[in-house]
Amino acid sequence: MVKEMMNVIMNMGASSLLPTVVILLSICLGVKVGRAIYSGLMIGAGFVGIGLIVDMMNSELGTAAQAMSERFGLTLNIVDVGWQGAAPMTWASGIAAAAIPITVIVNVFMLWRGLTKTVNIDIWDIWHMAFTGAVSIVATGKLWAGILGIVVHAVVVFKMGDLWAPWIGGYFELTGLTVPHGTSACMAPIACLVDLIIEKIPGINRINFSVDKLHERAGIFAQPAVVGGIMGSGVGLLAGYRPDGAFSLGVEMAAVMVLMPKIVKCIMEGLMPLSESMKRILSKRFSGGRFYIAVDPSVLLGDSQVITAGLIFIPLTLLIAMVQPDNQVLPFGDLATISFFIAITVAVHKGNLFRILISGSVIMYITLWISNQTYLWVTELGKNSGTITGDLPVAALDQGGSPISYIYVQLFEWKNVTGFVVVGSLYLVCMIVAVYYSHNQQSEAE
Amino acid sequence: MKKKVIVACGGAVATSTIAANKIMELCSEYDIDVEICQIRISEIESHLAGASLIVTTTKIKRDYGVPYVSGISFISGIGEAQTRETILAILKA
Repeated sequence: MVKEMMNVIMNMGASSLLPTVVILLSICLGVKVGRAIYSGLMIGAGFVGIGLIVDMMNSELGTAAQAMSERFGLTLNIVDVGWQGAAPMTWASGIAAAAIPITVIVNVFMLWRGLTKTVNIDIWDIWHMAFTGAVSIVATGKLWAGILGIVVHAVVVFKMGDLWAPWIGGYFELTGLTVPHGTSACMAPIACLVDLIIEKIPGINRINFSVDKLHERAGIFAQPAVVGGIMGSGVGLLAGYRPDGAFSLGVEMAAVMVLMPKIVKCIMEGLMPLSESMKRILSKRFSGGRFYIAVDPSVLLGDSQVITAGLIFIPLTLLIAMVQPDNQVLPFGDLATISFFIAITVAVHKGNLFRILISGSVIMYITLWISNQTYLWVTELGKNSGTITGDLPVAALDQGGSPISYIYVQLFEWKNVTGFVVVGSLYLVCMIVAVYYSHNQQSEAE
Repeated sequence: MKKKVIVACGGAVATSTIAANKIMELCSEYDIDVEICQIRISEIESHLAGASLIVTTTKIKRDYGVPYVSGISFISGIGEAQTRETILAILKA
């Protein structure tokens, strides 16, 4: 009986597994049956919708990117689906449903043993940890490697929460909160190392400029529709399309940029009742000044220096993608929210735009390099979860370019050993510097 | 009359969805007719017309000439009751 039920669940198909789990879990946590079913169906709707959009994006923009690369002898032929593509792929994978209880258990255990002060009330961002698990299953075929991946990533995330809390409460003035999730937290150690080096160079260490009004004047160029329109038309023209064809690709890519977050919203809404119950239970146990509440990185994106840097890094990331040797990944899906990669970096450099530009360039270079190593896993993940159907591969800068996921999976793989050792040891050094910086920041605050 | 509330965050997806839903619940509880406009911070300027309130889930320093309330407590759960009262006071006025 149990075995039959397990078989039914395993054979359910990716897009109906998480809705089912969410419906059951929500009911168990006291959500009304009607609301629970609605939530489950919204998640399913999000999965189906994102599949349609990503497929359209990949077949249209992917084909154009290949034509462009052939014409100019470039290698930019794999499209970045962005976090809005990578997160649904991860949530639709079998391991994601298990990631919710696993990360909660890890968090509560660490809080109980005093190993962290970070309380995670944010169910959505569990996808980052689930991603490490999901790609390690794709790469190794071993379920235990996936589960261990989620645990390892979760431990790192909660320690990151403690690490960045002094800046979240300091520079961003969000006392009592922390932002341990995603690219923002896992790339910021690089900024600490860059800062340390710049401090040691006479002359260079005095350079400081900031551009306050840029985003008020040029803000329109950071709008998703405009980014999509320009990218689509630009790639279309470079691919040798006629102007009308290039413009219609531009309109299609504007549509992708505008619609993707709207569809992702369905999945987020579906996770909300579960998220609210968890917030109620956890905040009852772990509240007050001794703890940091972990929230989504988007709380940082309103800071004017973060917005300005995000604007500058749209063209800069494309430039880095073009000059990086052998890079195959064309940044696209993450462009409009590129500030996710540099938000905490801005705080580490205290808003000094000169240093942000240097750190950010290093961060985007490393992100692109890693996403070139991981795109096969991401493509396989997308295929398994039914998000992508065509023959064209996809890449993901957000999380597909994360050192944490990459280093973990690479421990089982040992491909491109030189690159792995370089990135791995660089990241380790960055982490050590980050811990040192965090201590200084903490004592400064006190 | 329907009141227009702008709810904005960095990416217009994650945190603003939570805040928007909370404001909807709050308003239906107190019978206030609202229209929620969920957008990105950078889009606020082009949606200002007719807005009675701006709620953001991230700190903004710019003054748009419309009453502003920080909605960060909806995300963290710290001080949520107070934010609800401030919002009610503005929307009932």
